[in-house]
Amino acid sequence: MKGIIFNLLEEVIGAAHGPAAWADLIDAAGVDGAYTSLGSYPDAELLRIVETSAAALGMTPAQVLRWFGRSAMPLLAVRFPHLFANHATARNFVGSVNAIIHPEVRKLYSDAICPHFHFTNRSDGALLIAYQSPRRLCPLVEGFVEGASDHFGEAVTIEHLTCMLDARPLCQIAVRWPT
Amino acid sequence: MKSAPIDLPNPLHARLDQLERQLARERQARQAAEAIAEAGLRALYESKRSLALLQRITDRANDSDTLTDAIAFAQAEICAEMGWDFANAFLVFSMSEAVPCDCWHVANPAHLMPFIQVSRTTTFPRGVGLPGRVLANPQAHWIPDVRADENFARRDIAIACHIVAGCAFPVMARGEVVAICEFFSRKAVEASEPLIEILAQIGIQLGRVAERETARETLLRDAQQDPLTTLPNRVLLLDRASSAFARLGPDRCGLAVLVIDLDGFKAVNDKLGHDAGDWLLVATAARLRDAIDETVGGESVSRVLGGDRYANPDRARRTRATLARTGGDEFVVLLENVTDENLPHRVADALQAELALPFSIGRDEVSIGASIGIAQSNLSYGDYDAVQRDADLAMYEAKGAGRAKTVTFTETMGTVVRQRMALERDLRGAITENQFVLHYQSIVDLQTGAIKGFEALVRWQHPQRGLVPPGDFIPTAEGTGLIVFIGDWVLREACHAIARLHAQMGSDCLDPPFVSVNIAPQQFLQPDFLRYLRSVVMETGVPAHCLKLEVTEGVAVLDADRTRRVLEKCRDIGVRVVLDDFGTGYSSLSYLHSLPFDMIKIDRAFVAVMDQPKSLKIVRTILDLANNLGLMVVAEGIETPEQQSALTALGCEMGQGFWLSRPLEEAAAFAQLT
Repeated sequence: MKGIIFNLLEEVIGAAHGPAAWADLIDAAGVDGAYTSLGSYPDAELLRIVETSAAALGMTPAQVLRWFGRSAMPLLAVRFPHLFANHATARNFVGSVNAIIHPEVRKLYSDAICPHFHFTNRSDGALLIAYQSPRRLCPLVEGFVEGASDHFGEAVTIEHLTCMLDARPLCQIAVRWPT
Repeated sequence: MKSAPIDLPNPLHARLDQLERQLARERQARQAAEAIAEAGLRALYESKRSLALLQRITDRANDSDTLTDAIAFAQAEICAEMGWDFANAFLVFSMSEAVPCDCWHVANPAHLMPFIQVSRTTTFPRGVGLPGRVLANPQAHWIPDVRADENFARRDIAIACHIVAGCAFPVMARGEVVAICEFFSRKAVEASEPLIEILAQIGIQLGRVAERETARETLLRDAQQDPLTTLPNRVLLLDRASSAFARLGPDRCGLAVLVIDLDGFKAVNDKLGHDAGDWLLVATAARLRDAIDETVGGESVSRVLGGDRYANPDRARRTRATLARTGGDEFVVLLENVTDENLPHRVADALQAELALPFSIGRDEVSIGASIGIAQSNLSYGDYDAVQRDADLAMYEAKGAGRAKTVTFTETMGTVVRQRMALERDLRGAITENQFVLHYQSIVDLQTGAIKGFEALVRWQHPQRGLVPPGDFIPTAEGTGLIVFIGDWVLREACHAIARLHAQMGSDCLDPPFVSVNIAPQQFLQPDFLRYLRSVVMETGVPAHCLKLEVTEGVAVLDADRTRRVLEKCRDIGVRVVLDDFGTGYSSLSYLHSLPFDMIKIDRAFVAVMDQPKSLKIVRTILDLANNLGLMVVAEGIETPEQQSALTALGCEMGQGFWLSRPLEEAAAFAQLT
């Protein structure tokens, strides 16, 4: 996992729970990476921090990931404004993840392993997102979609149709932005 | 000097504040350093990729004789690099209009057919639509969102085909736009300064090909002689042939045309270089000339400056031959005053015999051959062009029949070609009207009789002709490139069907049935095949290990290295690959050894004659071989219980055939599972 994800998590946790919270979590999780944005760190370290946060906050790890994804979006908008500038809607922005956002990520972090999302426009107007990754971070995907919708000032409903966490081959997430 | 700590009043909390400020400064420093490194990395990455793309296109442009060849290569490369779905090109005449040149590339055909059709047939005046804009203002133009673009003539159909973004750039030669390349995508594609700069550079490199092409055409027009072989060129040939046709008697007999296209010349050119290729053409021309002289008699082949050819009435009645070089590796023999209707065939035989002997180029020995098409004039022809067109047609037939073949044009052949053209037209309609259906044939565990999976087989529900079997339209689809569209539909539909079946069976099914789909060589060797395959798997939700792709040795014959890489990557994403029709090709063992297949299908030809001891031995050998290489085996074409038990006794795992189950419609096929 790239260091920038740890940095974002640090910022999100710091903003919500005070400057010392991150250092406390790191100690409690028993990890000690330097976490510079350009470095790579074991996925397991992120999961440990998420699990430790979940225990401390009385949440499930999935809830922490979802909250993290949603709260990280404003920080990403400050850090990478050009990725947001050309989109008028959350749907359009989300749709650019494979073609623009992930290629941009790979430019900065050549060893980054990005998931591939497959998008289908369902006839009822929903956007169907298919996600497949051995990391199984679908709650983070949901959080990012919520955060993106906040950014564009849109309401959103998310329905997880099939989930890798239930031993299905891939996740299918139906997203609706009622207009 | 003695060092001593600086003694300042500093209570503990002040010290703590100081450390926190220092920590904040350190964090800022780290973030600033990261930002600088990130900006540098991004710039480096982009320029490396762009330069590599430009380099590939420049290399190809240097080797291309025609602008469309260079553009076709650039289209595929740019689509793959920048993620466009469709590329199209226009030629520009006197800076006034952009005319489509049937040079296009489709990376991912889903939904795009109507847009492709209109794009490859519409001409744009200056200023109108995307190509017209490039023509009026020669630089890269970008359409970030087609819906919001007022000057985009194909907007409605583009929206209907889900197109989102487009761009176009000019190909410049001597300061003028000579061609326009345009690209479209179903996704947003962002413009950037470096990207626009690289497209401009690509336009200039492609322009060099156009400059060379124009220069060469001018030379050819000016001279009537092919400078390399000193033979008459196309211009002189047409001139002579047209006058000869005009001199024909009332029965319009006596003129024959042989169109000769060398087989294997391009391979020599690619392998030994252009100098060797040129030398080979000169040597070939000399041999052809000798063969004709010998067959027709005397020095019958007229040289370029024939001078006063018709001054002597006796000479004018003699059978005469003109040998011309009309293209890269294409020659034409024009025979005049033919009284013996077998003469053209004897000439063709003599030419074939001459070319059957190998040529020595330095230390290399090379063999080429020729495909020859013959047409003879008769009352049905109104001009010379029609005779040569039919000879061309016969030559293409010869080419299709293999190396070193001669074919004479007949009326029946004309009818067959017209029928093929009608079939092609119907096929285009079938693709837009979605007239295809899939049938599924069970693939069965021979021991237990359990269904392991299905092979998806395409049928064409023709509105007049009814259900058309694949053998009647797939060859035409392959010959016209339409196979890519049909193959796309088949793959998607088969994956959807099997995903539907899995959903019905529930997720607790331990061994879900697979679906096996035939992939044509053109489809398999498309540069974006893997990206496309992945997107189909994601879109349909079929578990990758339940999808098997069947390819024939044909793909490996076309490009063995690429085939191996694509097969490996298919397996990386979990999709299984099957070698179809095993045993019918000519070097099966070497492919089996070097290509990473999961499974082979024993061709029906062996199963059909298994009652003969020799065939039984072959099947046993194939099974041993597969076993040693760790490959699964399916026997195809099982039509009798005897064949099934013989195969089972030999340890063949799976089988397929009419005896086990015929191909059935989806519902009936899948109902066999319950």
